[in-house]
Parts: sequence; structure tokens; C-alpha cells
Amino acid sequence: MWRRMTADWGFDHPLLLALLLLAILPFIASAFVRRGIPTLGLAPADGVSRAVSLGLRLAGALAILAIVLGLAGLHRREQVIARQGTGAHLVLLLDRSSSMDNSFADRAPSGDQEAKSVVAKRLLDDFVARRARDRIGVAAFSTSPMPVLPLTDHHEVVRAAIAAIDRPGLAFTDVGRGLALALSSFAEDTDEASRAILLVSDGAALIDRRVQETLRDAVARTPVHLYWLFLRSRGAKGIFEAPPPGENTPQANPERHLHLFFQSLGVPYRAFEATSPQAVEQAIAEIDRQETRPITYVERVPRRDLARLAFAVAAAALALLLLAKLAERSLVRPASATAAAGREPVLRRAA
Amino acid sequence: MSGSAHEAAFQPLPYRLRWRPQGILPGAHPGHGEGTEGEFRRHVPLLRHPDPRRLDLRASLRDPYGELHVRQFAPRRAVPVAALVDLSGSMRFGDTVAGGVADLCALLALSAARSGDSFVLFGCDGQVREAASLPFARRRGIEVEVRQRLVGARPSGMTATGLIEAAGRLPPRRAFVFLVSDFLMPMPEIERLLDALWRHDVVPVLVGAGALEDALPRWGLVELADLETGAPRLVVMRPTLRERWRRQARERWQALQRLFAERGLRSFELRGALDTDALARRLMEG
Repeated sequence: MWRRMTADWGFDHPLLLALLLLAILPFIASAFVRRGIPTLGLAPADGVSRAVSLGLRLAGALAILAIVLGLAGLHRREQVIARQGTGAHLVLLLDRSSSMDNSFADRAPSGDQEAKSVVAKRLLDDFVARRARDRIGVAAFSTSPMPVLPLTDHHEVVRAAIAAIDRPGLAFTDVGRGLALALSSFAEDTDEASRAILLVSDGAALIDRRVQETLRDAVARTPVHLYWLFLRSRGAKGIFEAPPPGENTPQANPERHLHLFFQSLGVPYRAFEATSPQAVEQAIAEIDRQETRPITYVERVPRRDLARLAFAVAAAALALLLLAKLAERSLVRPASATAAAGREPVLRRAA
Repeated sequence: MSGSAHEAAFQPLPYRLRWRPQGILPGAHPGHGEGTEGEFRRHVPLLRHPDPRRLDLRASLRDPYGELHVRQFAPRRAVPVAALVDLSGSMRFGDTVAGGVADLCALLALSAARSGDSFVLFGCDGQVREAASLPFARRRGIEVEVRQRLVGARPSGMTATGLIEAAGRLPPRRAFVFLVSDFLMPMPEIERLLDALWRHDVVPVLVGAGALEDALPRWGLVELADLETGAPRLVVMRPTLRERWRRQARERWQALQRLFAERGLRSFELRGALDTDALARRLMEG
């Protein structure tokens, strides 16, 4: 208990706390002028008076306590709090192949056209900004997978990583090993939260049969939700429509077969075929809507200075005491004095 | 101050006793026994009181049987006058001791000296305070000493049991006793004190009754402190509390009057300055 208290609360000048002893002063001394009366037996017992008396003493003690605590610099230390929210553990798996630098028309962007990577960057940035509670990791792949960020709460870093995806891309697309890398990011993640991988790519390639087996294994170990945001260029084949029978080979139609492979993994999977920036936006909104399971996330609460609060409390208590002091009355002048004053005119008349 | 002015204005007050003092000291009050001069009492036959110097010729001639009558007088005797002054802490309220009480005692001493009675002063708190007391004396100017002793006395102490001790130091014959106190001690203690004074003619002088109740404000906070124990108490004054306070004081006053009446005593109220007219009236009533 004490350890918890000292872990949570602290003082800038602990030595000043010795002054807390002064808080017994209001119980010894009084701010009022004492008026002598012959005996207290004359005063009728009065509950209100007793309550006010005790209250004022407590207010005095409170004022001294608060002032001392304020002077000692009471503060709550920086804290790490686990909170419950809605969100997910999410790995963004980004395609860094050079085709991402092209526009949706599959040529170098010109004029007001945007490159696919720029669109993805803008939309993912918004997406991350909207999902403040998520833990997000970033991985990229091209010819080989590149771990960018492990799962983290620090969204500034995530956004910086996303901001970097419109750098000129590299050669090819190796979805399989990229996926394996993304799955491995969850290896140390033991939370109950929902896990999702968001694959952003504009094309696919064959996945090696051995890699396929590895992926099946990994997915069986760490069940994830899989989202594929397929930035489809004009002219590229769709992933949903079945091609004519003769062309239905993985070599001729790798995207379609990747889609089928994902469907066969036995985990929740959705693919979005985005042909334009608007479609991408809709797809991301859809993911946003889906991944809202409860999640335990960690929040950092910065150090909070309570000196101001302590002084406010002291001021309130002192205001109360001041009011009481202003309400103080003395006993009316004793009768002998008034009688003596009344006699003087008689003497003057006699003289 | 005006002290010297009204000191000079003090005239000795005559006082009348409703009883005949014992003793042998000559004085001004008709006493017990038979004397040769003073207040005429009756005619007695010469054979019963063989003092031909007091023969009343006119009464003897008027008697058809021719018996000789002698005049008989009550002897003049002096009476001890005592002032027992409560000097416990509660008497500090309103500075009555240096004011009204000192005036009263000085006036009594003056009156006693003028009528040839001896006067004694006992100032008492827990015990008799010698510095505030004067032994029996009938010399002139005693009133100045009495005033000095009382003005110089600072009331303190928690009890007034010294009054009972002083009662034991009074003479064994009946005396005229002024018991000056605020009578704020517990009722049984007052009874014990009055019982200790059973032999004497006691005039309880009730000091400052109601002075505190009049001094209370209607509203506001007042921190009161017991003048005897020093114990403080914060009081939130308001009209209802003041009313309750006054009712309680009135009840106490009435209980005190009942207590006095049971012993055949009538109190004299001393509030603030001494009202000599009221005192004179009270003394003439006996």
C-alpha cells in the first residue's frame, strides 16, 4: 500500500513535510478573541455551535495541511495505465514494388493524377489517425520482406513509417514472405485483442508451394483477420471474376490465385478491389468498421502537479476562516460602564 | 475618574435590625436585656427593678393602686457587620469588584463605623485571602482601607469555598453579614454556605445578575472563555439561542430566590454601579 502510494505520488521538497505538524495548531490556538464570562455553565448546550467550532478547527488544519502540501510540491508521478477500449492489433503490410509508384492508370503520375503509393499513404495516414487505440506494426515487402516497425502504440512513428511509403519503390513483389513476416510480428503478442493484417498491394506474384505451407502453419498458430486492399490498375485483371477457363492458371493470373489462396486459409478474410482513390477510401472505412473488438491498451498519463489544487483548497479553507473572523462579535459593553456613563450628566447638573 | 467624586458623596446609611443583638459592647442598636437608657421599653414595678433613679413619677401618680413604676430601656448594643466578598475568577466579569462591590463595602464600613459597629471584610476565593481582608475594627477611615483592599484584589481561583471558611471565622454571636457574590457556584455549595451562616443575619448581595445576558449580541460568532477555568467555547449567537440563554438565566435566578426565601433571606441586587438609594431602602426595611 505504502509502496503504491510512493510510486504514484511524490513531493519535490519532502523535508517541508515536517511542517505538517503545524496542522495541530488550530486545535490548540484560536483565531478569535476570547471573551471572559463568569462560567461556561451559563452557556446553554448548543449543537450548532459545537459543529461550527469543530468545522472551523478542521478548516484551519486543512488550510495548513494544504499549504504545506502545496509548498512541498505534491504531484502525481507519470503513470502507465492499462485501459479498455475498442481497437485491434494491426499490421500494415505494404507493397514497395516499383509499380506502386504508378498511377491507377498504370503509368507515371502526371498532372493531378496521384501515384498509388501516394493515395495509399494519404488514406492509411487518415486511417491510423482515426484508430487511436490500435497497436499498429508496419512491414513492407518487395523482392524480400522488410520489417519496418513492430507493434507499437506510438502512432507518430507509425505515421512516419506510412509517410515513407511513397519513396520510389523497389523491383518485385513477394507477397508470401511479406505475409510470413507480418504474421511473425504477432508472435510475441499475447493479448486477447483482435489481430488483423492489412495487405496493401497493387499486384501479386506466385507464392511458392513451400511458402504456402509455411503460411498455412503460421496462420493456424496465430489466427488473424486478413484484409487485402488490392489497388487495381486499369487493365489489370480483377480478383473476383473468374477468368476464362484457359487462362485460369496461377502464372497467368496471380492475383486471382492469391485471393483463392487467402480464402482457403480458413481465417476471416476480405478483399477490396480498389480501382480509384474513392474506392480505396471505402475499403478502409469498411476495415475501420470491422475491427472494433475490445482491446486493452496502455495509456501514459503525464505527471500532474497538484500544488495549484492544494493552494486552491487552502484558499477556500482560509476564506471560510476569514468569513468566520468577520462574523465575530464581541460582548456588548458591560452594564457598569454604561451606567457610569449615564451618571455623569447627573453630576454635572449637581455641580 | 469619578471615583473620588462619588466617594465624597457617600453618606453613611442607617440600618435597622429586626433582631436584638447580644453582647456587651455599647452601640446604636437596641439590644437584649435591660438597660438604663436608650430605647424605652416598658414600665415595671419598682420592686421588680429596684432602680429609683428611673422612677417615673407621672406613671406612678396615675396608678390608682399607688404602685411605683420604673422605666425600663433596651440597652444600646453594637453589632458586628461583616462583608464576605467572593473573589473567585467569575467575579472578574464586568470589573464589578473594583467598582460596585468596593463602593458597597466602603459604604457599609463607613456606616458601621459611624454607628459604632465593628466591620470586618473577608475576601475569599479557594480560601480566605488575607490581602483582601480586614480584621474587625471600628476605627474611622476604615472605608478607605476597605476600598483599597478590594480595588487591589484581582479575582482569581476556581472556587469560592473560602466563603465557608470565612463564615467559621465570624464571631459566635449573631452578626449582620453581607454575602457579596455572583452566586454562580453549584446550588448545593450555595446551600452549604448559607447553612454555615445560619446564626447570622445575612443579606445576599447578588452581583451582576443578567449582565452577561444583556451583553450577548443577536448574531455572530463569539468565543467565550470561562474566567475561572479558562476553557474556551465558540458560540454561534442567534436570537433563538439568546432567548434560550436568557430563559435559562431567569430560571437560575428564580431558583436562587427560592433558595434564599426558604432561609428567610432577601437578596439585594448589585448591577454595575452601586445604587445607594436602593441600598438605603433595603437597609431600612431591615
